[in-house]
Amino acid sequence: MKKLLMNCLAVALASLAVLQTSAAETVKVGILHSLSGTMAISETSLKDVLLFTFDEINKAGGVAGKMIEPVIVDPASNWPLFAEKAEELLVKDKVAVVFGCWTSVSRKSVLPVFERNNGLLFYPVQYEGEELSKNIFYTAEAVNQQAIPAVDYMLAEGKKKFYLLGSDYVYPRTTNKILKQYLKSKGIPDSDILEEYTPFGHTDYQTIVAKAKAFAAGGKATIISTLNGDTNVPFFKEFANAGLTSENCPVVSFSISEDEFRGLPAKQLVGHLGCWTYFMSIKSPENTKFVGDFMKWVKAPTLAGVDYKVSGVDSKGRVTCSPMNLSRMGVYLWKQAVEKAGSFQVDKVRTALIGQKFKGPAGLVTMQENHHLVNNAFIGETLANGQFKIIKTMNNVAGEPFSEKFLGKK
Amino acid sequence: MPLPNRSTNYATSAAQSGHLRPATSPSSSRQGGRYTSLTQILDCPSSSATFECAVIFQAEILNRKFPLRGILATFLLLLTLLTATAATQTHRATLSEAILSDDATKQIELVNQLIEAGGDAFVVQALGAWRQGGVFLHETNETRTPFLLDAQTDGEGRAKGIRVADGAPLTDSSGKPLLFAATDLTAADTSSKLRKAIKTVLDLFAIANPDPKMRRDAVVKLGQDQNQEYLQHFEVRLKTETNVDVLKGLYEAMELTRIASDDASVRLAAIQKLSDLRSISSLNFLQELEKNARADTGKYGEETLKAAHSAVIQIQDYMKLGNLFGTAFRGLSLAAVLLVAALGLAITFGLMGVINMAHGEIIMVGAYMAYVTQNFFKSWFGASGIGFDSYFIAALVVSFFVASGVGLILERGVIRFLYKRPLESLLATWGVSLLLQQLFRHIFGAANVQVSSPSWLSGSLVVSDVLFAYNRIFVIGFAVLIVFGTYLLLTRTSLGLQIRAVMQNRAMASCVGVRTDRVNMLTFAFGSGLAGMAGACLSQIGNVGPSLGQNYIVDCFMIVVLGGVGNLVGTVSASIGVGVTDQILQPWLGAVMGKITVLAAIILFLQWRPAGLFVTRSRSLEG
Repeated sequence: MKKLLMNCLAVALASLAVLQTSAAETVKVGILHSLSGTMAISETSLKDVLLFTFDEINKAGGVAGKMIEPVIVDPASNWPLFAEKAEELLVKDKVAVVFGCWTSVSRKSVLPVFERNNGLLFYPVQYEGEELSKNIFYTAEAVNQQAIPAVDYMLAEGKKKFYLLGSDYVYPRTTNKILKQYLKSKGIPDSDILEEYTPFGHTDYQTIVAKAKAFAAGGKATIISTLNGDTNVPFFKEFANAGLTSENCPVVSFSISEDEFRGLPAKQLVGHLGCWTYFMSIKSPENTKFVGDFMKWVKAPTLAGVDYKVSGVDSKGRVTCSPMNLSRMGVYLWKQAVEKAGSFQVDKVRTALIGQKFKGPAGLVTMQENHHLVNNAFIGETLANGQFKIIKTMNNVAGEPFSEKFLGKK
Repeated sequence: MPLPNRSTNYATSAAQSGHLRPATSPSSSRQGGRYTSLTQILDCPSSSATFECAVIFQAEILNRKFPLRGILATFLLLLTLLTATAATQTHRATLSEAILSDDATKQIELVNQLIEAGGDAFVVQALGAWRQGGVFLHETNETRTPFLLDAQTDGEGRAKGIRVADGAPLTDSSGKPLLFAATDLTAADTSSKLRKAIKTVLDLFAIANPDPKMRRDAVVKLGQDQNQEYLQHFEVRLKTETNVDVLKGLYEAMELTRIASDDASVRLAAIQKLSDLRSISSLNFLQELEKNARADTGKYGEETLKAAHSAVIQIQDYMKLGNLFGTAFRGLSLAAVLLVAALGLAITFGLMGVINMAHGEIIMVGAYMAYVTQNFFKSWFGASGIGFDSYFIAALVVSFFVASGVGLILERGVIRFLYKRPLESLLATWGVSLLLQQLFRHIFGAANVQVSSPSWLSGSLVVSDVLFAYNRIFVIGFAVLIVFGTYLLLTRTSLGLQIRAVMQNRAMASCVGVRTDRVNMLTFAFGSGLAGMAGACLSQIGNVGPSLGQNYIVDCFMIVVLGGVGNLVGTVSASIGVGVTDQILQPWLGAVMGKITVLAAIILFLQWRPAGLFVTRSRSLEG
């Protein structure tokens, strides 16, 4: 009863606050994530975490005194529609900043729109690099913050043979191209590197697993997997059936985070590795708070400060993962930059963003001049409960989009 | 759990450490076993009892024969026991020292000394924990004490700290055991070199692990190190090993180690042995050796080069042969998957002429039924055991009936009005497919659900290095079964006769008194039921999610059309053709190009023979 009373009081206070602040000024912020179609499973979580972050910031007084008002559009996993929706956000809604995109192809599709309208986009998901737009800030892991540390780790573990396996699209192909060069520079001969791609939705991994088994027969082999989404299920089933394990041929996956793990057979994945700049299992006060608050928020999602009703947030079995953390980092960095610049103008915010630091759940992040973050990278081993056990930490890895720079060529 | 007094402790560990073998009972062979709880190791009432029995028993036997010597022997035995105790203590101290040391080289040195411990259960546990960050440091003002956490935790997830040095719990000044929570502690760190050293030591211990799989893995890995010093460990194990797989691994590992020997005759013999064994896992090493020998004939000698070369060719030929069988099997298994998925469509589309775009979704219904059945069985029988493992049989039945129910409703509700308007049935069933997808997304969520395979469908049969996965074997068998069943139904039953009659000439069949409406309904339900069973089958191979049907629908139509509409033999041959071709092309062209090539080939084939492989004269299609 007392609790109920308290709740009522809280609601009353909150609505009072709403009344007050709705008179206060707001700033429009765009969210450009697919809420339907094939990518919805992954991207919906990012929309949730963004709203959660807006709620956090609004409760703490907003951005430069203004409350964040989200404008959510649904590009429905349809790449051309991403460009249309981006245009809509920038021209019609005149948002100050957009947080969005998951796949590289969607980012490529909105890039010209942002450049033409001089918009501002924060992109939070690991990607292949080789791109730098003055209108995009990449909080995402670049290849040298995810793939290279993972390969370095496997080399240090004494692995000598690398099977690069991926889904057939731009991210795996570019990443593997860079990795091949990198491995060669580390003295791994061509004959010990295999490269293979499978289509989206591929279910027949017999041949590939048979190949991998022969490849791993001589020991010291590892699979670097950029397989996307649910193709991992038939792959890992086949892999386990062939008697391969994380002991005799570990798989490092770049596309499986805690969030994807929810739809995968845990039993078959145990012991395999992942590399990200954030894991839910990180022990830090910031992370404990982030995870705790987020779990509380999804049960009763609200957005303080503005008249906005949050809906469609699933409260069951939620986790946090690297793209979610990086989305949130983006919002905070943008907030700091706006407050430093004293303006929402894109050009001023862009200048102010460089050098912004924020102490997040995974440690301090710094925005560099190349629009990428300095971040800590972690290697984790998957556990049966869907979490990663961190087995190696690399501090302050500076993101670098262009492979020539970190490969030291040309 | 109360901790036993020290003496029992040590007696137990000593009994397990293997120093008393083979004089004591079989309990000593438990060395190196995996223990879940530390206190279990320390307690171990059963094995310590066995040990005491063994001592008494032996003393008795000896006493009866030679009284004095018996006493002496017992005394000696006890002495060994005491030395063993002392040794265990030293090992623990060494380990503790290694953990505390700041010098990385010294740490590795100390860890390597532990090889002598020969699988002392506590050392194994502690080393394993250290490697995985499970050893923590308890720091007081002057001392640092390494400890691990007991597996038993209290309500708040805290556990007793067990000192590495002597296995006793950490206590505060008043003697009460201290409790720690894993999340508050920082682990004693390890470098990757050190972890590797620990792993090697653990592998050496694991040669004697009670689980043959672990033994085999350890042996294979150690063999690949080609370290001549390990040979003695292999030889010791060779004398007692009984498991065929492990023995094979041991032989291979020994020969593999020997080909790195400096002695030319040993090397030659080893190369010959590996060649005779057709050892695939040593192919890389032999190739390496061949390369080295070619580069430096002086060091290795002409004969080594020749032997290595012929061994490489031998093994490669063997692999090629294995690959041939492997490809054939994989082709057949893909064919079986396609056939199982397409058979239902061969009935509804092939025989009845209904362009059923919802076929994929009916497969999906079947797959979800497997998931539901699995969950029921899980709640009844728990997540493992025979009860749970039998869920899949039930799932096949449930899937069949639920899917045929869905098919029945679909036929009665939509399709029966559209028999004369095939194009509209295409649109209507497509609409139904979208409805079904959204319905299941609503009920089970947009994410994929997990269907775990029963244990009898996991793993694979290995015959001369060719893999036959059990789930694939099952699908092949199942495909044969349902095709045969369908054939019997169509040709040997009165329903089958009626079905064929209606499909050939509906009006005439109706005239002679066949209730065509009822036959249509039953045929469609049967076809849908088959699709449902296919779904249950596919749940063992791929994903179960709302879009499962979309992944198969194109393949299904492709198979039915290629085989010739309305012809079961055609469907079977088409699926075998497509499956095998795909698997043959895949290793050359890759998965993407392979699939494209197969598609292109099918299109060309249909240009040439639009009616497919086998043409059936069926009036329903001519009309």
